[in-house]
Amino acid sequence: MTLAQRGRWITGVALLLLAGVYVRALVFTPEEIHQGLAQKIFYVHAPAAWSAMLSMGLVGLSSILFLLVKDPRYDRFAAASAEVGTAFSVVMLTTGPIWGKTIWGTWWTWDARLTLTLFLFFLFLGYLLLRGAVTEPGLRARYSAVLGICGLVLLPFIHLSVYLFRTLHPAPIVLKPSAPSLPPEMLVTLLCSFGVFTLLYVGFVTLRYAIGDGGERDA
Amino acid sequence: MPDTMPQNGAYMVAAYIDAAVILLVYALFLFRRSRRSS
Repeated sequence: MTLAQRGRWITGVALLLLAGVYVRALVFTPEEIHQGLAQKIFYVHAPAAWSAMLSMGLVGLSSILFLLVKDPRYDRFAAASAEVGTAFSVVMLTTGPIWGKTIWGTWWTWDARLTLTLFLFFLFLGYLLLRGAVTEPGLRARYSAVLGICGLVLLPFIHLSVYLFRTLHPAPIVLKPSAPSLPPEMLVTLLCSFGVFTLLYVGFVTLRYAIGDGGERDA
Repeated sequence: MPDTMPQNGAYMVAAYIDAAVILLVYALFLFRRSRRSS
């Protein structure tokens, strides 16, 4: 089985499981009393944010490895992960305001968490634009590795921004030192969604990695 | 406990459709590109 076929299989299975998560979230998970049905946006918004951060984390790590060992496979993986991360960022940045409008009364506010996640999206875009603009492969790999490492440095600030600054955005419910603060049915749905979004990330990255440098110009 | 549950189901539906469309379109885009490159 080729890498592309493996990527297609993983993506197909992940999409089927995503349909299962939708059914579980929409039909079998109870409504939250204060927020109503809109709280269920959480089951797609938070895992999409997780996948976007995972993407940038792995872009940064593979960029460091590329600069250390100069293996072009790390650069190719970073490029694949950045493109996939952009897609997850779009999901995060569109579902968040829909939730915010009904709960906060506004689509957007320039608080620390929201602004930093928008900055993460622009870093993904900048990374992809840079790769498209630099024609010499060695230079392109080095420049984009530096930008990828900048993205990795941004991640702890995004995670900790709700503690460091006054913000409308809620604090983490699962990724925190104490036990998750969710009823068991909601927690199971959320964890299933995290798992499926992670699998979807793996499928997308495998496919994108197999496609290779399609769309990027070589000198 | 609030007297009435907020009526905001339309926002939930919009967000779920939005996420599904973005992920499906990107998956199809990758499927097509991988078929063309192989």
